[in-house]
Amino acid sequence: MFAVYKREFFSYFRSPVGYIALALFSFLSGLLFINQFGSGAVSISSEIISLRSFFVVIIPVITMGLFAEDKKRGTEILFYTNPLSLFDVVLGKFLAALSLLGVMFLNVIVHMIITAVNKGVVDIGTWGSVIVYFFLAMLFISIGIFASALTDSQIISAILSFIIILIIQLISTISTLAASSVSSFLSSKMFSMDAEKVSKAVEKVSNGIKWLDPFSKTQDFRYGIFSVAPLVFCLSGALVFLYLTYRVLEKKRWAQN
Amino acid sequence: MIEITNLVKRYGDKKAVNGISFTVQKGEVLGFLGPNGAGKSTTMNIITGYLSSTSGTVKVNGHDILEEPEEAKKCIGYLPELPPLYLDMTVLEYLNFMCDLKKVPRAGRKEMLAKILSMVRIVDVADRLVGNLSKGYKQRVGIAQALIGDPEILILDEPTVGLDPNQILEIRKLIRNLAKDHTIILSSHILSEVQAVCDRVVIINHGKVAAIDTITDLSKKLSGSSKLLLSFKGPVKEVRNALQALPGITGINERISDSDIHEIDITISNEKGSDVRTSIFYAMSKGGWPILEFRSLDPTLEEVFLSITSA
Repeated sequence: MFAVYKREFFSYFRSPVGYIALALFSFLSGLLFINQFGSGAVSISSEIISLRSFFVVIIPVITMGLFAEDKKRGTEILFYTNPLSLFDVVLGKFLAALSLLGVMFLNVIVHMIITAVNKGVVDIGTWGSVIVYFFLAMLFISIGIFASALTDSQIISAILSFIIILIIQLISTISTLAASSVSSFLSSKMFSMDAEKVSKAVEKVSNGIKWLDPFSKTQDFRYGIFSVAPLVFCLSGALVFLYLTYRVLEKKRWAQN
Repeated sequence: MIEITNLVKRYGDKKAVNGISFTVQKGEVLGFLGPNGAGKSTTMNIITGYLSSTSGTVKVNGHDILEEPEEAKKCIGYLPELPPLYLDMTVLEYLNFMCDLKKVPRAGRKEMLAKILSMVRIVDVADRLVGNLSKGYKQRVGIAQALIGDPEILILDEPTVGLDPNQILEIRKLIRNLAKDHTIILSSHILSEVQAVCDRVVIINHGKVAAIDTITDLSKKLSGSSKLLLSFKGPVKEVRNALQALPGITGINERISDSDIHEIDITISNEKGSDVRTSIFYAMSKGGWPILEFRSLDPTLEEVFLSITSA
């Protein structure tokens, strides 16, 4: 596992990908920080939360090549014909992407130091945001890796993970939309349901969709209110996608077409 | 060393490999021949654990490739059809990465790498990016990769494909060197290559074993008896009479006749202990007919291959 990790992590810096991602992230986080710093009220938590919305671009870029490139170049054969397990390969690549994200995050750490030195607020809530940041990152990276294992084209892989992450980021909007369409559908003459029943059904639908939203689950962390359930949600989501990736790789060996 | 029993790989309705069985002895160099699409690469991919067979077993050094994959894979160095190279690493970085993958202990790694580098002659490009190397060098890095961890078995899938004649000779020399202390399976459709380095050949066609034998036995089996070609100056009728009188000669065929230079095929029976060639020489010299050319007409591997795979 460590061999794969080392190779993948350093390969980010052998191509422009790692540098571009780093530069982009530094620029965005710097911009957010300077804005707040200029106005005199710095909230690292809100900087981190704003940065989270760039996951949808950054994570597809750093995960798109992880398996797609191996497939295209024929190097994936190494994972099958050497004495190591495929799950180690998946885990190694996952940790490499997570480490790159960690390196990018050093920017925010610098901002935290600057804030603290200038007597700004760096409290438990800030650390809560940091924790949430990394758990969400794990979930999304595993989605990106899964997308990368499905295809041998980096572009298709990036688009696929972009779409999945976008949908997750838009879950609250989607749930509102779904709720309103369910409500108008059920109140139409076809069903003639009473208003109370309709609103109950609508609520169920919207809650059901919202349950999938990792963002709303973790929103209290920034106030220093921690709970284990949302972290378990992210972590198990990540494990599910990593396991699916492993199965996709394993399937190739058994495929009969 | 390697035991393959009843290997089948099905792709949809088509069987890419259909019941292949053979064994490879320790220290042997086995040529693996077949036309394109015969199932060579699929078989090699199954032996190395890249693909799983639909049925049948592969045992490497007594370890089943599916049940004890780690032990089995440790004994194998594999050069696939397309060398699995990371183009963004230098040669040395790449080989070090391969050491990590194959779990080669750190101690002694440097010496091993130095030995491999000089063996496949890539010392002077060790610090260059793999992506910037020429095809011949890339192929050699691929071979170096297979040698890491000093596996007892080497499986080389068309190791000389795409190389220029000089490089082909070099790689062949390298393979012959490696053959001294390795068991090698070598696939190719360049027959002269197989003839040059292999002890035994397996010819497969349409996913089945068409023939397994040593090269000389294979050609003898195919022709039934040996043939000699004789080209001489002199009267063809008298020569024919003189030769037919010799023991061990079963037939004479005229090939080309010029005004006074003739070429004939002589069919001889394969009895041991009698060498007809000497008596032919004396008979010709007695008649005063100069010999212009005299050689054995054993079918080449090309002919064997064509007759087996087109049947």
